[in-house]
Amino acid sequence: MTSVRAIQRGMQYVLLIMLALFCLVPFAWVALSAVDAHAGPTVGAPAFTMGNFVDFFTEADTPRLLANSLIISVSATALNLACGILGAYALSRFRFRGRKFFMFSILLIRVIPPPATIVALYLMMVKMQLDNSYLGLILVEAAAALPITLWLLKGTIDAIPFELEEAAWMDGSTRLGAIHKVILPLVGPGLGAAAMLTFMAVWGDFLTPLVLLQDPDLYPLSIGLFRAFTAFNQVDWGVLAASAMVYMVPPAILYGFLRRHLLRSSLGGALKG
Amino acid sequence: MQRKRVFLAVTAATLVVGLAACSDSGEQTDAESGPVTITLLEYQQARADVAEQLIPEFEQAMAEQGKDITVELVADILTDEQFRTKITQQFHSGTGPDVVDMGGSHVTGFAGAGYLLQLDEYLEEWSGWDDYYDSVKEQAVQVDGHIYSLPHEAGVQSLFYRKDVLEELGVDTSQPQTWDELIDRLTQVTAETGEPSIVIPAGTAWGGGTWSEGFLPLVAGTGSTFYDQESGGWRLESEGLSATFDLYAELTEAGLLPVQDLLNPNPWEPTKYVQFPEGTLPVAAQGTWGWRYDWGPEGSAPIENVQEKVATWDYPALVPGTDPYSVSGGGFAYGVNADSEHADAAAELAMWLSSGEAMAEQLVAIGSAAPRAGIADVAPYKDEPSLLDAEEKLKTSVAPPTGDGADQVSQAVQSATESILLGNADGAEAAAAFAEDAAELLGDSLVAQ
Amino acid sequence: MLPLLLGPSVVLIAVFVIAPAIYGVYLSLTNTQLTGFAARDPQFVGLDNYRNLLSSDEFLASLGHTGQFVFFSAIIGQTVLGMAAALLLRRTWLRGKGLFGAAILLPMVVPEVVASLTWASVLSPREDGTFNRLIGLFGGAAAAPLQESPMLSIIIVNIWRGIAFAMIMFQAALEDIPDELIEASRVDGAGAVQVFRYVTLPLIRGPVFLYLLLTTITTVGVFGLVYFLTQGGPGSATQLTSIYIFQHAFQYSQIGLGSAASVILLVILMVFGLTYVRLAKVDV
Repeated sequence: MTSVRAIQRGMQYVLLIMLALFCLVPFAWVALSAVDAHAGPTVGAPAFTMGNFVDFFTEADTPRLLANSLIISVSATALNLACGILGAYALSRFRFRGRKFFMFSILLIRVIPPPATIVALYLMMVKMQLDNSYLGLILVEAAAALPITLWLLKGTIDAIPFELEEAAWMDGSTRLGAIHKVILPLVGPGLGAAAMLTFMAVWGDFLTPLVLLQDPDLYPLSIGLFRAFTAFNQVDWGVLAASAMVYMVPPAILYGFLRRHLLRSSLGGALKG
Repeated sequence: MQRKRVFLAVTAATLVVGLAACSDSGEQTDAESGPVTITLLEYQQARADVAEQLIPEFEQAMAEQGKDITVELVADILTDEQFRTKITQQFHSGTGPDVVDMGGSHVTGFAGAGYLLQLDEYLEEWSGWDDYYDSVKEQAVQVDGHIYSLPHEAGVQSLFYRKDVLEELGVDTSQPQTWDELIDRLTQVTAETGEPSIVIPAGTAWGGGTWSEGFLPLVAGTGSTFYDQESGGWRLESEGLSATFDLYAELTEAGLLPVQDLLNPNPWEPTKYVQFPEGTLPVAAQGTWGWRYDWGPEGSAPIENVQEKVATWDYPALVPGTDPYSVSGGGFAYGVNADSEHADAAAELAMWLSSGEAMAEQLVAIGSAAPRAGIADVAPYKDEPSLLDAEEKLKTSVAPPTGDGADQVSQAVQSATESILLGNADGAEAAAAFAEDAAELLGDSLVAQ
Repeated sequence: MLPLLLGPSVVLIAVFVIAPAIYGVYLSLTNTQLTGFAARDPQFVGLDNYRNLLSSDEFLASLGHTGQFVFFSAIIGQTVLGMAAALLLRRTWLRGKGLFGAAILLPMVVPEVVASLTWASVLSPREDGTFNRLIGLFGGAAAAPLQESPMLSIIIVNIWRGIAFAMIMFQAALEDIPDELIEASRVDGAGAVQVFRYVTLPLIRGPVFLYLLLTTITTVGVFGLVYFLTQGGPGSATQLTSIYIFQHAFQYSQIGLGSAASVILLVILMVFGLTYVRLAKVDV
């Protein structure tokens, strides 16, 4: 290897390391403060403790935030998948008027930024008496992620040979029975990806719960952290950082699983936002 | 994360009474005495704490009258802006609490939208209302002539200063007669310390405080009409407004205002909670509650021996031909939800909390003057000279203007003062931008021609 | 059968996504408020809200801020750094690909609120804030980036958050380029820059353009990240249109005006969206 080459490679390493540092350094505060007994709003060498995490799980209000986040995210994901798989099956196996239009329309829905519909959505939810409730938020979140789930699952079902289903019909299965027997087992990877994307989107959402929920008993972690951060003069930085760690773990883990799927570019577009 | 929902069970006494009533099914129970649960919202920790103590006493008192009322305290600790956004949504969706304790400046907007119950009839029948000072009563009346909130404290806005610090610096601490005189002294302080010397809420980060604690008290003493009661509109250009914006500009340009801190989120923290207690920022525009809520022994940023180290000036005259003055206002009031199912019980709670010992306790906890006669000799309020002094001042203080659309005017003031802080506008430019902005936000009907 | 299968999805999307958009158009034609005496009796006001907005410096400035924010953070910053990351991580001789990849992904993976929280500490005006410590190492004086250069700050934060998305999109596109092609041009003596300019880039032009549209659309919708850090301030220096809408509708309770701003934003984005759908040539 020539020395010019070595220098070039060295520079590329330097570039990558700088990029990686830029991405990682901001996390220093969360990581250090979460285990710091005297955490403040800025980085410092921690006086090591797990006390902040203990506090997080034993304090009166914080476990509730976690529970709310889980209730909302899991329910919304379940509802989203249930509707999504049926709908995607219909879009994949049936030919009907307006199918293309429907597919394109829901693709366009991705264009609608949440801040642009949140005002009207809020007033509608009040009229339907669905504001300030788990149910209302779950319905909204499930619906918001549905276009992506439909597209993703339709693609997955398209790839399953129709003959398999026909074979099941021959054996006396009903259409729904065939879906259950043939489609569900094979749709696994797509379903998993859709589940993770939906879960992560709901889990991380800030604006919708901020507007729709007023009762602190219903707050998910995103709102809890925001409120804790803006509460003047009484921020417990250590617990705040620990909460942030707890909050970021599920999506980080899910992402590990999801990465393989992401190289499919059709999915890549679904990911952001 | 620091929210507490305190559910206070019915006292043992009422339980016994209730059980006895239930067991005796033959006896008709009075309609009024059926068990009733009402909610009370407090959004500041100190207020929530004192309310928590008072509620059992209220329930006891009601039980003695044969009324079974349970009060559920909703203590949701929020900043003013967060509170406003949130309670608006709750009222709008019909999920608001029965009684809301809030800053007087919020009342107009909510009353206008029909979220608050008209209290006129309750107050007419209540002997306590007769004891209220006229200035407080007048301010409680909204533009439609009705009363939608029961003030339970009164504040006097004045300039708080660090007597110890100024004396050490050799700066005159007598009442300044004009702003020019005060600015000379402030310049002297800044020259000595190299730091800004006065904090007056300004800019958008301080939110509603920029309006009620910063701008309004200044403009109130200028003698110019700001809100025209007759026509029900705002006068967006006047000598007083121009002078006020000029003052902000002058203080900014001279480096007397802590501009950087005012532009930060939560600007009250570095200024009122750090620098004023430390003595590095010795003058602050502040309401009576500074004595307790901010700098009292259990306040946000305690100053030891606050009574000795801190004193107040009236606002100096800003416009030639006016005199130094103090401004009333800034106190909290109870509003009753217009949709409350138990309006009677809710009003009962508001009135009980605005009487005797209950009021005295709250006044001391927050640091406010009594808005009514008859409290000055009630413990623990009677032992607070600085609060009693404020109550005296209340009788002669100037009432700040208010009317429908105050929220929009407040917003325009926040932007205009912000542009001064940022150095984007001088006083005249800010005044012009304010007039344009406010007119746009208010719409034609609320602007006086 | 079809209604049973597709029905739930259609209903959910119609009620919770489409209906609010349509209702928003209606609201934008009224003077609906949540507080004040005007709240009792909302009136139909025609296009008044639109007239007010289009002559309001504040609103136009918010559109300008959004444009700046999108251009510098998404179109320039994320694209350049994302492309760099994608190209570098393709080097066959590179060690620790997994680690580098994970580091770059982390900012995108964490929830919005956590991202904001981390940067709040980095950009803290206190002397021991991460940023101030770093510039302290180089002898710089402590600064308050969120106050002194707020727009630049939120642009950098958003670049940070979006590098990974760009990287993923470009990695997918680069996979389709045969290695032999690159090798061949190398053998012909082309330098790395030339290879990228004349071989790689023309081949991935399509995906890059689609990415640009997509990232524009999602960046216009950014709310929490900026709201958390600056709430649109200082002044209105970082008041993006998304924040303008939220503040006017909910903090100042002017639902009608906020809705009109939403509709304007929607119309602009629909143009991008339709272009995207046309160009993406997705199979149905």
